[in-house]
Amino acid sequence: MSAYSAAGEANAKPNYLNHEKGIWSWLTTVDHKRICLLYLFAILIFFFVGGMAALAMRLELAKLYGTGQHNFIDAETYNAMFTIHGAVMIFLFIVPGIPATLGNFLLPLMIGAKDVAFPKLNLFSWYIYMVGACMALFGLLKPIGPAFMEKAMNFIGVHGPVDTGWTFYAPYSIETGTSVVWMTAAAFVLGFSSILTGLNFIVTIHKLRAPGMTWDRLPVFVWGTYATAVIQTLATPVVGITLLLVIMERGFGVGVFNPKLGGDPVLYQHLFWFYSHPVVYIMVLPAFGIVGEIIPVFSRKPIFGYKAVVYASVTIAVVGFLVWAHHMFVAGISEAAAIYFSVVTFGVAVPTAVKVFNWVSTMYRGSIRFNTPMLYAMGFIFLFMVAGTTGVYLAVLAVDVYYHDTYFVVAHFHYTIQGGAVIGLMGGLYYWFPKMSGKMYNETAGKVTWFLVFVGFNLTFIPQFALGMEGMPRRYYDYLPQYQNLHQVSTAGAVINALGYTLALLNLGWAAVFGRVKAPANPWDSLSLEWQTPSPPPHENFEVTPVVTGSTYAYGTPVRGDAAAH
Amino acid sequence: MFRYFPEQASAHAADVDWMNNIITDLSLFFTVAIVGAMIYFAIRYRQRNGKDHETPRIEGSHTLEMIWTIVPTIVSIFLAYYGVVIYQQTREVPENALRITAWGQKWFWDFEYEYKDEAGQSQVKKIGGKDVEWVVPVDRPIKLVMQSRDVLHSFFIPAMRAKKDVIPGQWSYIVFTPIKTGKYPVFCTEYCGKEHSNMMASLRVVSEAEFDRWLKDRSAENALAGMSPSARGKQLYTEKGCNACHSLDGSRLIGPSFLKVFGKKESLQDGTTVDVDENYIQESILHPNKQIVEGYAPVMPSYDGQLGPDEIAGLIAFIQAQDGSAPVAAPVAAPVDDGWDKLSPLERGEKLVKAKTVPACTSCHSLDGSALVGPSFKGIFGRTAELQDGTSLVVDEAYLEESILNPMAKIAKNFAPAMPPVYGTQLKEQDVKDIVEYLKTVK
Amino acid sequence: MSASHHATAAEVGPGDPPHIHHMDTPTAYQSAKLGMWLFLATEILLFGGLFTSFALYHWAYFEEFHHASKELNWVYGSVNTVVLLFSSFTAALAVDAAQRGDSRRCSKNLLITIACGFLFLIIKGIEYTGKYSHGLFPGTERWNSPEFIQEYKMYFGLYYCMTGLHALHVVLGMGLLTWVYLKARKGRFSSRYFVPVEVGALYWHLVDLIWIYLFPLLYLVG
Repeated sequence: MSAYSAAGEANAKPNYLNHEKGIWSWLTTVDHKRICLLYLFAILIFFFVGGMAALAMRLELAKLYGTGQHNFIDAETYNAMFTIHGAVMIFLFIVPGIPATLGNFLLPLMIGAKDVAFPKLNLFSWYIYMVGACMALFGLLKPIGPAFMEKAMNFIGVHGPVDTGWTFYAPYSIETGTSVVWMTAAAFVLGFSSILTGLNFIVTIHKLRAPGMTWDRLPVFVWGTYATAVIQTLATPVVGITLLLVIMERGFGVGVFNPKLGGDPVLYQHLFWFYSHPVVYIMVLPAFGIVGEIIPVFSRKPIFGYKAVVYASVTIAVVGFLVWAHHMFVAGISEAAAIYFSVVTFGVAVPTAVKVFNWVSTMYRGSIRFNTPMLYAMGFIFLFMVAGTTGVYLAVLAVDVYYHDTYFVVAHFHYTIQGGAVIGLMGGLYYWFPKMSGKMYNETAGKVTWFLVFVGFNLTFIPQFALGMEGMPRRYYDYLPQYQNLHQVSTAGAVINALGYTLALLNLGWAAVFGRVKAPANPWDSLSLEWQTPSPPPHENFEVTPVVTGSTYAYGTPVRGDAAAH
Repeated sequence: MFRYFPEQASAHAADVDWMNNIITDLSLFFTVAIVGAMIYFAIRYRQRNGKDHETPRIEGSHTLEMIWTIVPTIVSIFLAYYGVVIYQQTREVPENALRITAWGQKWFWDFEYEYKDEAGQSQVKKIGGKDVEWVVPVDRPIKLVMQSRDVLHSFFIPAMRAKKDVIPGQWSYIVFTPIKTGKYPVFCTEYCGKEHSNMMASLRVVSEAEFDRWLKDRSAENALAGMSPSARGKQLYTEKGCNACHSLDGSRLIGPSFLKVFGKKESLQDGTTVDVDENYIQESILHPNKQIVEGYAPVMPSYDGQLGPDEIAGLIAFIQAQDGSAPVAAPVAAPVDDGWDKLSPLERGEKLVKAKTVPACTSCHSLDGSALVGPSFKGIFGRTAELQDGTSLVVDEAYLEESILNPMAKIAKNFAPAMPPVYGTQLKEQDVKDIVEYLKTVK
Repeated sequence: MSASHHATAAEVGPGDPPHIHHMDTPTAYQSAKLGMWLFLATEILLFGGLFTSFALYHWAYFEEFHHASKELNWVYGSVNTVVLLFSSFTAALAVDAAQRGDSRRCSKNLLITIACGFLFLIIKGIEYTGKYSHGLFPGTERWNSPEFIQEYKMYFGLYYCMTGLHALHVVLGMGLLTWVYLKARKGRFSSRYFVPVEVGALYWHLVDLIWIYLFPLLYLVG
């Protein structure tokens, strides 16, 4: 560590963190790096909120005082909790999670640009996000207090926390008395923020690459973000209009999804999943990118099969648009449609498998360092293997019928999103932390907290696979006594998991604020552009526009026969 | 490894499980192989002594990449193909399938069986309600045709490996052939609101002969459907416990009496008045606390989701009929059947608590610990009860007896004084004793 | 990469591109256009959800939709179509004028475009008022009567959603063009810098395009 601080001392020039001071300079900044921190601050708050809701559910489901009765929270609160958990985690945390934070920070740096294409729009997106977040909070409030307060809250449409689940399935979402309008309107506004971010990134990647940064030299994280941005831009409007129609149905009795008015609830599901299936790739594709950055650096090897990795990302993004109804195999779609969607779903499985093979092969004959980011990346590979293989059960028609809406789906989903996207985000935060903060974190604490996260996570969700196999349905406040043991193990795991995340983030937070070990420009000896500028980077990113002359992944000694390639 | 499925109770369960187990084995193989390779590489090629060793710049291998694109593709095609084939088998409806209709409603299932009686007349047997037990014959294909009356539900019988969403306005079906007699749980697997997790039923698979007896046995069946609306209303009046709070003779209980209430102008708590008509009654059943009649407390639970349109119409007709023209017979406990005295006090007490009282004790007091209108009976005896007036006492025989005969005397904290004072006339001294004996045993 | 970077504020004259710190003029121009095209794609998808719903129910309730569509006045619809088509033409003229550096002609055409937007909204307003007085609006007596069947409600529900959302886009487009107009009047555009006029006009063409689909679908095919 002491070697780092010596290198850090030399860096006394103003950087993006201190070139302007005061809260106003942050709230009006158009610097992508500062906007990243604005987002990061906001999403971590919502990560905490969503996590608390999850813990409340797990605590109830442990049924410490026995099944068949109310333990800590009642059924209505429980239903509100899983809705809050889902909606907050999806719309407020993980969809903007990687693209708006690490994507914002790294995209211009990695392609050698000074900023994103539309810096003001970037800041505007953050404000839209915050407006959406406030609207979502209205959807979570319970009208309490004196009568006039309750009346006032009812007047603005606050009727109690939303209890529909994050999917807002019609006609329940049209009938329930809770603040569905606020929550769906919030999702609409948040979607707008997501669209503008995606649009900004696409234009940035197309137009602002530094000289020599050709498409086939783009870091895989940039590719991941690019694929994500395409999905953000093209899928989000559809869910926007769908949720708008739900609002119209509640407000004006337009019956598009309400069978009582001649509408079709299955149409809602089609429109909803047309967005909400691709959205899981919004969450996980950037995480693929992060892992694709970490493994080569810590193995001192080029990423194995760069082109395959890139094509796989793009294929997943494209095919991801064509598989939405695999969420609806038991929902009343025709047999022919079910068969089509089952078969096409495997079109996503294959490129995902290819990616995993490539990551592991990258480690072959490497010189592997086990810093915390690498531990997260390796943990990611294991968790994503589980996520991917359990996804196969759900793609196979005959078997999905059994697993649909059981805990198996819950576990599978959390392996992809938490084991994939969140672990990826954590790995990315640890990896780029020196660049973002200019400090080094405590490596031992990083490893210990990684261990807590990893063990806690598996302990939470492996029992849920077993529960699903035994037939336990999801979104159940209460259950038959035979499921209790596994639920209790899962709850214990959730507590460890929560503790792990809290400590892992505190480790970073502590280092950022109180840390004294300054980070050098390139602590991991990476070849990609963001490490070729000081830590933290200056306001303008690079003192001179960099010129790229070779691959981002030219690690190791050239082997015979390879020279021709470059 | 990882075989957690419930027993195979339907003909296609074995196929589904075979498919599932193949995926499990393949998954385990690939996971162990890949993660194993990763761990092996991590150990074998770890950096030693803090110094990087020389690494080769391997950028890829076309051969390897072709292999690991083609192999998963072949495995995928295989899995997708068999998944489709088995799925199609599970959806095929044999010609001799027994057709049963099911309705999902917040938060219970109703079933309708159509059959021909001895005279060749078409008959319908209807069963339903919370935790209903429906019955099918073994070794005969069953086609269950389903629709929802309100929001989305989903019908799931784990042991039969059968599931399908139940949608308002559209028919869907599941088909399965039970191969084992027994009792199997049925779940609702599409979130449908507050009591989603309690929307259960059980499936009893019996022999063909037993099924036939069950089907044609109409005595146990609630013949509500065949009744005139007002007769249906009358039955519901006691069955749903309306009589706990609304009298027929004009006496004031917790809620307004039904006598001559129809057509009356009632003044409401908020100062407005309302005509008691069909809509007001319906509204009061579904959303009881919206328009409270002056001088009454807003304590009535909502029957939204528990009563269908026919049943509400029945109640409306019944209330309308209470115009004072017919003499009102006070509801009494059902006549004592033969052999009553031969039962033990405990058995008698149980029957009284669950059924023989009007309204039945259990319509307001649960046996499982959940709070309904009144405190649960679970573990009531010997419990320390906090009262409304701030005092507390230990529940003993005397308190129980007093509460049955004179419910308003000591009200438990957090509960409304909603219990009707009707049991003093309804029950004999011995009955009260039997009930107390039984309550002691509810743990 | 940083050609414009050396220009200080004093060197930027009227009609020159504004100082953008991180990219040069051609890049800025291409970026703005690409950004707007992407945004238009999202708009199409936004309406796509509504078009899908309409198509589905048009197919399911063919007779009823046909009947309900007769309540719409095709004259209003046609006039509005002409108004919007004409405004698209003037928007294109504004771009042409900007490219030639003719600020006066550019702002004049923008003004006509905005005025057409107003005219469109006024006609739409008259139409909506007419619908309301005919009892074709939620809450009116006719709407609540049993003869006014569900399928009609569905048709008019979709009609209000689609035309309402479109009208909102007209308003947004007018706002955007007003901003461009104010810039044009100050002489901010030249043959070297006219990208706001171009993206503003692009957006306006989209508003027009959506109407071109809405009009026959709602008024004629029904």
